[in-house]
Amino acid sequence: MAKPFHELRERLLRACIAPRHVRRYLTELADHLADLTAEEERAGRSRADAESAALARLGGMDDLAKAMIGHRQFQSWCVRAPWAMFGLAPLFFLAGAYFVACIYLWFLWQVFLPGMDTPFGHGNPGPIYGFQNICIQAGKFYYTGAPILVGWGIGLMAARQRVKAIWPIGSLVLIAWMGATAQIQASRTAVPDGLGNIRMGFFTPGPSVQDIYGCLIHALMIFSLAVLPYLIWRLQKAHYFSA
Amino acid sequence: MTSRETNPNFMNGVPELLILRLLQQEEMYGYEIVQAIRNRTDSVIAVGEGVVYPVLHGLERDGALKSRRKTVNSRSRIYYSVTPFGAHRLADLSEAWTNLAVAIQKMLAGGQHGEAIP
Repeated sequence: MAKPFHELRERLLRACIAPRHVRRYLTELADHLADLTAEEERAGRSRADAESAALARLGGMDDLAKAMIGHRQFQSWCVRAPWAMFGLAPLFFLAGAYFVACIYLWFLWQVFLPGMDTPFGHGNPGPIYGFQNICIQAGKFYYTGAPILVGWGIGLMAARQRVKAIWPIGSLVLIAWMGATAQIQASRTAVPDGLGNIRMGFFTPGPSVQDIYGCLIHALMIFSLAVLPYLIWRLQKAHYFSA
Repeated sequence: MTSRETNPNFMNGVPELLILRLLQQEEMYGYEIVQAIRNRTDSVIAVGEGVVYPVLHGLERDGALKSRRKTVNSRSRIYYSVTPFGAHRLADLSEAWTNLAVAIQKMLAGGQHGEAIP
């Protein structure tokens, strides 16, 4: 991408234009610039002169940026409704991920522990490389990693759309607390016919100080891991601009 | 990137009218549209050529235009054409601009008691 388009891209993204609109705009501008350069070369200019004249004909960066920024319809939802994108959506995503985890847990319970009242607390899941153990560990891995994955998604979205850091950070704090306080309970006797009942609770740690302390440490761990890619991107960006 | 003198009033509703009028006849891509505007207005309307794209994208988003990617001479381009909704919009815009032009012409011709614009 030509340097003027790099600057234009940054400017549009910082003005909260949705990345897909920016990408398409820049693609068409690059095509247009190539056509203009070819036209100027056919008129007898040298390559360098033709490129310079083509850029002038394409329009100043201010004009090109303002033409796009003036259309509110091209702004991303992260700017039009950041509270929804960084407040509600991640919570729904994580709740959805936990719902999938509950379905998986119920499936494992039915297959591997059909006679048990609860899928938890049974010491021996079989040989370490056995199918049963692999399935159970995969479920645990998914359950533990879900808030971190959602956090990475938030960071990616915030980085792509150049959103103010306060939104992803606030969102990650919410996600970390939701992940740290998530509690899962399962019992077969809670409902008739032995189908099994799985419940989840969020946001309320146990009553003891130790529970609260444990949740805080857990939340801090989730936050640290989830914020890492976003933090690296911010540092790289800062380094790029300072250079 | 250097700038050159452009017509600032170009952006006040005129681009939509010109673009819809051009695309009503045939589908075109951005570069063709700008060249056609320049040729058909004898370069009276001057504009930074790149600013045509936000207008095209806005019209497409409103449903007045549709686009498709087409490869011509081994180059992939986005061609735009008018939708039925765009044709309606063109008719409305044309009528409004014709009325306005007639009214302004009357004023410039010296009439002091012009008729109300319908």
